[in-house]
Amino acid sequence: MIDAQSSMVEITHLEKRFGAEIAVEDFNLSVGKGEFVTLLGPSGCGKTTTLRSIAGLEKLDAGEIRIGQNIVVSADKNIFLDPELREIGMVFQSYAVWPHMTVFDNVAYGLRVRGTKASDLKKKTTYALELVGLDHLADRFATKLSGGQQQRVALARAICYEPNVILFDEPLSNLDAKLREQMRDEIVKLQKEVGITSIFVTHDQSEALVMSDRIVVMDKAVIQQIGDPKSIYSNPVNSFVANFIGVANLFQGKLIGVEGTECQIEINFGNALATKKLLSTGGDNLNLGQQVFLSVRPEDIKLSTKKSTGNVEANCIEGIVLDTVYLGNFLECRVKIGSHEMIVQIDHFEQLDKGQTVYVSFLPQHGLTLPN
Amino acid sequence: MAQAIAPVEPVQTWRRFLTQETIVTVIVGLIVAVAVILPLITLVVSSFLVLDDLGFDTEWGLENYILLYTDRVIPKAIFNTFIISSGTMILATFLGVSLAWINARTNCPWADYLEPYNLIPFFLSPFVGAIAWHNLASPRIGLLNVWYRDFFGAEGYLLNVDNLWGVIWVTGLFFTPLVYLFVIGSLRRMDPSLEDSARTTGAGLLRTTLTITLPLVTPAILSGAIIVFVTSAGEFGVPFKLAAPYGWETLTTQIFTKAVGDDANHYLGATMSMVLGVITVILIWVQRVYIAPRSYTTVTGKGFRPNVLDLGKWKWVAFGFNLSYIFVAVVLPIFCLFIVSLHPVWTAEIIPSDMSMNNYVKTLFWWREDSIRAATDGIINSFILAFSGASIAMVLALVVSYMIHRTKGFGSKVLDILCVIPIGFPGIVLAMGVLVTYIQTPIYATLWILLLGYITRFFPYGQRNIASIMLAISEELDQSSRMSGATWFTTLRRITIPLLKPGIFAGWVLLFVIFLRELSISIILYSTGTETISVGVYYLANFENEALTSALSMTQTVVLLICIYIFRRVAGKEALSA
Repeated sequence: MIDAQSSMVEITHLEKRFGAEIAVEDFNLSVGKGEFVTLLGPSGCGKTTTLRSIAGLEKLDAGEIRIGQNIVVSADKNIFLDPELREIGMVFQSYAVWPHMTVFDNVAYGLRVRGTKASDLKKKTTYALELVGLDHLADRFATKLSGGQQQRVALARAICYEPNVILFDEPLSNLDAKLREQMRDEIVKLQKEVGITSIFVTHDQSEALVMSDRIVVMDKAVIQQIGDPKSIYSNPVNSFVANFIGVANLFQGKLIGVEGTECQIEINFGNALATKKLLSTGGDNLNLGQQVFLSVRPEDIKLSTKKSTGNVEANCIEGIVLDTVYLGNFLECRVKIGSHEMIVQIDHFEQLDKGQTVYVSFLPQHGLTLPN
Repeated sequence: MAQAIAPVEPVQTWRRFLTQETIVTVIVGLIVAVAVILPLITLVVSSFLVLDDLGFDTEWGLENYILLYTDRVIPKAIFNTFIISSGTMILATFLGVSLAWINARTNCPWADYLEPYNLIPFFLSPFVGAIAWHNLASPRIGLLNVWYRDFFGAEGYLLNVDNLWGVIWVTGLFFTPLVYLFVIGSLRRMDPSLEDSARTTGAGLLRTTLTITLPLVTPAILSGAIIVFVTSAGEFGVPFKLAAPYGWETLTTQIFTKAVGDDANHYLGATMSMVLGVITVILIWVQRVYIAPRSYTTVTGKGFRPNVLDLGKWKWVAFGFNLSYIFVAVVLPIFCLFIVSLHPVWTAEIIPSDMSMNNYVKTLFWWREDSIRAATDGIINSFILAFSGASIAMVLALVVSYMIHRTKGFGSKVLDILCVIPIGFPGIVLAMGVLVTYIQTPIYATLWILLLGYITRFFPYGQRNIASIMLAISEELDQSSRMSGATWFTTLRRITIPLLKPGIFAGWVLLFVIFLRELSISIILYSTGTETISVGVYYLANFENEALTSALSMTQTVVLLICIYIFRRVAGKEALSA
């Protein structure tokens, strides 16, 4: 991973409480120079609080944050640097573009407060505006711009004075779907171009997967998993991560056997099948007899009208088609298995009737055993 | 079940216009138009009528306007009005902005408890405030000056409010809530990330406050300042009590002198009202066209948690400042009124053995022989006027709001403008208009002319109360009632009015309060037998002693305080800042 020398932001044992409520607990993260890290989680999970703590907009109850060479806040050493001294840039959800200034003045603000020479100021501001493609609107008042343009102003304003790190607080969630994708790609492109260290907060898993070098998944004030998008998606460490990133079918069961990488789980579907033994991977640190979750992605499940043979036979379950939803390039089919439901993604267009008996199956390596 | 549905006969064209909706709205629209426009037109016309030397005939001419420059008193009165308005504007803006900032943006202790008290002067009578401050700080009999002489054995006086500065002091204290309400709303609705982003961009606290926060609330401050300027230019009671008797006339006191009395010249009064009217129109126009549209912070309707500044130990200074305001604007005046009212005559000395409730008996118990008619009649009349006036005005306000916000077309735009006109207009100017319009009619010298003046001037306040709720309620709620087959009137009765009930009641109480303390309209339009409480106070101040005056003032203040309490309970905390 990233060694301490090259890390730009180092957060250790961060803790923040609002009254009795714990917002963030024991948060540890090291962000490398030029890295794009996303804090992902449902609302109220503490991701924005963490970001605001890095910015200096919230005070800490415990822990320490270092940005570049400076310890900007430390609860133990009683250090607290005001936001303006931290050499950061921040982009807010509500754009926060100042309505009483022109686009140019908005972007140049950071340079002005740093006492930059007039010629440099003009050059750097114009460069930042060119980067976001707004140089032709420099003299416009910021409130006359569209949402997407305002967010670009906010972005240019944050990068203009070349801060050590740029913080994004759900900057895309006020934009409409089409614009959101476009801005998402632009931010990534710009970030790579300028090479600036970025910490991005979002509740949108697709944003996180597309944009990030690494993702920090948070829930209930605690980090659940840190990893690159691929490993987070294919190797979630628990049922929360599995379910939050993409769609997962989760079944609760009992671990009854482990053989090499494969483990056997007993699941009670509550119907004629009663209990069914399924094979999956993972479960290295789990004990036999323990309650576990089995997670399968909809796209990893095979569906057929006949009972399948071969090595997947062990993971073949009978079910009834509840309904199918047409989603453009694929079909999504809900299959009822006893008292449970399973979502299966199918790309071939076979005729499936409601109530029809079908067989779902998946390879053991596509099933993942997760701790309860 | 299978019933044949009878085809609905198409209605003839002219009958289609005779719906409940059009009949009611057209009638109410006409009433409002006549009530608002007629007095203003008559006022303009009368200002060009010149009374001959004998005081019987009139002819057209500009002599009245020439008099504005050549008269011995009027030019000075205009000048004094400007001094008072400017001074009041500066004082009220300073106090209003500081208090709003302390309450909205700092960790001042117990701010939640202080806030309602900051608004109390908004509901009380500035005239009574002037009386109280006269008793507190007039050179000879002012309680504070007496204490100063007693404690320090000094000669002379410490404070003197019987001059223009005194007027500015009292009106400034009483109009502070106007600025306060404008600014605190703006500070609270401001998106905190506007300031956060300045901090993260590298600006310190001071720089952020000066370059971001202050510019963003400037429109609100200017709006508040202009409203205060206009309101204090039209204020009659305070200069009448503290300035006019000591040689500082203002426009309002001069209008009063010309409108009432033996050698009254209504036409010259109308001309002077025009000056006040023109100032008002220009400033209100500037406010609406140039300042209100620049109000940046009202755009978002989101609820924000504003940034709160930790003042450290300075928070006690902020707390002390706020407490001082409440002390000098509310507590001290009311305390003084109460003390003075207990004495048979006020000799600038607190004599516990002399204290009694006799003055209250004289001003309240109308059935007793020794009661003072101007006071007792005033109380009864004020309650009649406040009750009926608030009720009629709210009915008007309801229909007018409905027309403005639920119907489209020419009528709704005209009504919208008509509702703005009286809001800015000084009561005394409108009263002059009403006086010259109706002086030849039977309603002159009855309670009706007062009622007409009150409603015309103040129904827009009620209209605003209803409109703010009406804008928040979806029109579809009305429409689905009509779809279900209800008539327009049934919809109004069963759907619209029940939904607006809190707004209607809050507006009613607000108008009730305003009518109970009203002075500048009443003083022009009253005659013997139709005094109001405030006119009663004026009468006692002029013809009786300070103690009796204080007793009636105290009565009025207590009633108003009870109404404020009810208003807050009904309307909730946010009602005024909307």
